[in-house]
Amino acid sequence: MSKHIYFHLKKELKDHLFDYLLLFTAGIFFLILFNIFRGQRVIEFFVLISFAFFYIIWGVYHHIINETLHLKTVVEYVLIAFIIIFLLKIIILP
Amino acid sequence: MEKIKTFIHHLFIPHEENNFRAKSLHTDFLTVYLVIAFLMMILFKQGSNLHNVLGFATDISIDKLYQLTNEQRQKNNLPSLVLSPTLSLAAQKKAENMFAENYWSHYSPDGKTPWDFILGAGYKYEYAGENLAKNFLFSNGVVDAWMNSDTHRDNLLKKDYTEVGYAIVNGTLNGEQTTLVVQEFGKPMAGTFSPPSVQAEEVSAPQQILAQKTVQPKVNLLNFSFNLNVVFMVFLIIALALDFYFASKFNIIRIGGKNTAHLLFLIFVLIGLFMSTIGVII
Repeated sequence: MSKHIYFHLKKELKDHLFDYLLLFTAGIFFLILFNIFRGQRVIEFFVLISFAFFYIIWGVYHHIINETLHLKTVVEYVLIAFIIIFLLKIIILP
Repeated sequence: MEKIKTFIHHLFIPHEENNFRAKSLHTDFLTVYLVIAFLMMILFKQGSNLHNVLGFATDISIDKLYQLTNEQRQKNNLPSLVLSPTLSLAAQKKAENMFAENYWSHYSPDGKTPWDFILGAGYKYEYAGENLAKNFLFSNGVVDAWMNSDTHRDNLLKKDYTEVGYAIVNGTLNGEQTTLVVQEFGKPMAGTFSPPSVQAEEVSAPQQILAQKTVQPKVNLLNFSFNLNVVFMVFLIIALALDFYFASKFNIIRIGGKNTAHLLFLIFVLIGLFMSTIGVII
């Protein structure tokens, strides 16, 4: 079972190492900022929005580089980002 | 039973009938999630307005703090503390003063000490102590944080204390809407009172934790929305993981976003969500 995941995950990460390192670094940066500004709700929310927008931009950039960009793909990234923004707003800025 | 099996298969496993992409990750499904999330955001906003914005922002209550504090004492074979209205009044005055003079410390800028508030409330003590907290979402987070800090833990488990008082107050501190939790400990002095300066200093030195939240709504909206967030994110993560696994297994190539990227994003956000429940300890 894990053989398939391992193989494809390894291939995916190897083929797009820079892209995933970029996203991973942004994620770490998001958590660090979230921790630094913990309790400051407005800034926390701003940090979340920044990460969500970075994720959308990352998606567009990644698919442009790989020549797989389609409107459907962009919409998918936008939808996931905004679902998260709306849901976390309930917790962070009710 | 067969229908349910087919539905779940259609929902999570990429195959010909769902265009080789788990149905739960299709754009139309994601749009439905978005609409639901948006409606819930509006609904909770209305709910929070009904319950006093910050009152809804956290789920900390005096009853729960009191219960958890005594549970910790019982675990350590210490007698339970009695809830003192006088100490609660002192805690309330302390919190109000912190907002009024805009400070986050055991000592006010003009030199007021914790025991000034305790004495001011008419509580003559033999021993007294104070814990502060802010920016927590849940009562257990506050008590856990206190228990994980040596100085606060010492206060919580001090055998000399017999009574405790709490205040959970909303306000703006350093330009930020905050809910402060103030916990005052004490042992009333029998007979005539004379201020015991040594004990008083002991009191204030260590304890400070910052947490948040206030008025308790009848419906625990925050707890509900937090659990909903966790459940939804876990659902998405499972859907993405299953879709990735079966797409890998069947060597499916399709147009769409990268599951690995979505998973990374969701995992980071989920960690952030849990981090947001933890307050600050100083």
